[in-house]
Amino acid sequence: MPGSMMQPDLGQIGALQGARAAAMARWQSNGWPDHRAEAWRFTRLSAIDKMELRPAGDAGPMAVSRPTSLPANAVVLTFHNGIMDTAGLDALPAGVTASTLDGNEASLDDLAGLVPVGHPVSNLSLAAMTGGLCLDIVGDIAAPIILLFGGDDNAISTHPVVLVKLASGASAVVGEWHQAAVGLSAPLVAIDLAAGATLDYAKVQFDSRSTTHVAATGLRLGTGARFDGFQLSVGGKLARLETHVTLTGEDADCTLSAIYLGRNSQHHDITSNMAHNKGHCHSSQIIRGVLDDSARGVFQGKVYVAPDAQKTDGNQMSRALLLSRKAEANTKPELEIYADDVLCAHGATVGELDETQLFYLTSRGIRPETARAMLIDAFLQDAIDGIGNADLAAMLRPVVDQWMTAGGNR
Amino acid sequence: MAPLLEIKDLHASVGDKPILKGINLTINHGEIHAIMGPNGSGKSTMSYVLAGREGYEVTGGDIVMNGESLLEMEADERARAGMFLAFQYPVELPGVGGMGFLRAAVNARRLEAGEAEIDQLEFVKMVRAKAAGLGINDDMLKRAVNVGFSGGEKKRYEILQMALLEPALSVLDETDSGLDVDALKIVSDGVNMLRDAQRSMLVITHYQRLLNHIVPDFVHILADGKIRRSGGKELALEVEESGYAGIDDAA
Repeated sequence: MPGSMMQPDLGQIGALQGARAAAMARWQSNGWPDHRAEAWRFTRLSAIDKMELRPAGDAGPMAVSRPTSLPANAVVLTFHNGIMDTAGLDALPAGVTASTLDGNEASLDDLAGLVPVGHPVSNLSLAAMTGGLCLDIVGDIAAPIILLFGGDDNAISTHPVVLVKLASGASAVVGEWHQAAVGLSAPLVAIDLAAGATLDYAKVQFDSRSTTHVAATGLRLGTGARFDGFQLSVGGKLARLETHVTLTGEDADCTLSAIYLGRNSQHHDITSNMAHNKGHCHSSQIIRGVLDDSARGVFQGKVYVAPDAQKTDGNQMSRALLLSRKAEANTKPELEIYADDVLCAHGATVGELDETQLFYLTSRGIRPETARAMLIDAFLQDAIDGIGNADLAAMLRPVVDQWMTAGGNR
Repeated sequence: MAPLLEIKDLHASVGDKPILKGINLTINHGEIHAIMGPNGSGKSTMSYVLAGREGYEVTGGDIVMNGESLLEMEADERARAGMFLAFQYPVELPGVGGMGFLRAAVNARRLEAGEAEIDQLEFVKMVRAKAAGLGINDDMLKRAVNVGFSGGEKKRYEILQMALLEPALSVLDETDSGLDVDALKIVSDGVNMLRDAQRSMLVITHYQRLLNHIVPDFVHILADGKIRRSGGKELALEVEESGYAGIDDAA
């Protein structure tokens, strides 16, 4: 497809250098994946090219309202229409060094080496970067750092690019909260955990129902590093949250769980690629989806175990709950194992609420809508229980509750 | 006083298959009725039809409780109107906390009656008091509903719910199944404690032994979807001796 017809329209972007120039070249030759791309079989992006989009300009950031469930002690860094409010950087605690990615070739090279290879957002958002932030973290940072993404223009695409680096032995709590009403939200995130570093992480995708959210996140764990991550996808018209993890040192531990909640004609896609390049690592993914009306959910999870990555323990369990006959869930677990001494388990189920359980509850006088909510809540509970950081769990919980009261009552 | 429950020429099907073929039964306030019958006679169907389970379709007749037909009422509405079914096979609800479940049930009834939701502390006290009499400890109360309970524990938990909800009519569906002698005694004592002049019970059982513990005022023999004989508690003993053979012919 000729570059001029691709969306968003990148005509306003001037000459680029280094990693961004390379990304632009890849974007211009590859664009969005078409229907033949296996990785995009269940999630079609053809609607994006029918939009009229341009990357957000340099209009000064406006206030983004702070969600009430953010941890009280959180340090909030705000992006409005994809552009960072640099004023927030002053509040960062000691041990966290913030810098802008714009023109920082070394950091951009780092980032380009961490994000999912071949992913359209790895190309597009690096090329069209509307705001670039690098956080270098040393020591133990107790206060959660929350990146808050707002926006209010359906004619724009946003391309925030974030690089988070934890030094050896560092620990931190980082969250992404997306509540933008823009045409396309395409965040590109890279997280690099050096040996022994620990990161608790949560992402809330709560964008407007008119927004298409396509996110690419790359994650690298060194020896003994621990990542405890959770994603909650509730908003958006179409959302794909794709995360690629590379375990590059022994004894690394990665949790990457997710809940998606879909209603109306929403489409949620959780895609992961867990590469066990070294042995003695542990990875765990618990995925729960609840789909009502004609919503659609997709979970694609690949676990790769390299030839000498012995004693790998990787597990993955995806369950989808359909509340309507028109709802649909697609799951594609994939194991690619080249080592012989490994423990890998995966499973996927799709089902409806159990009629017998509903009858048991209603036979006690509990109203059917309450009974359904109790069973949905129970279904999601073990995924939520897996969140290690209490602040992040408390941040997610009200979003789930709000989804249920907003119309799970049917 | 008008009867608590009147079942009038009740016909019901599961799928296309007629199971209940004209049941007539009147239960007055404070009475305990037992329904006995061989396997496949329609006993469990009757309990589900009374409780309002989906898929159990009433094709004729009526069920009237306190002067009001239950047929247009959903299961939860019937429960709030005073119906309680103790399940033959209580259902496990993984992830649903026991105390939250019990509280939701009690509050549903209180709100229906125009009362305020029960105070949390008062509720915990009340549950503990009633649970103690049934040999249900705190550990069981904290677990998810029926998850990890033995067969006997599940039946005791049913009776605890009955004690908390104080139903006008309790239908006990084969509450004795899967219970050893000791568990049977605990469950029966729990049921007997709930007997009073206002509460009625319909005890459904295959065997007479439960009726030694929960002594009924009336016994009915159900076979092939109809009540074939009715009598006092001595009828249960007669069935125990001669079996159900020949009951069909008596109709």
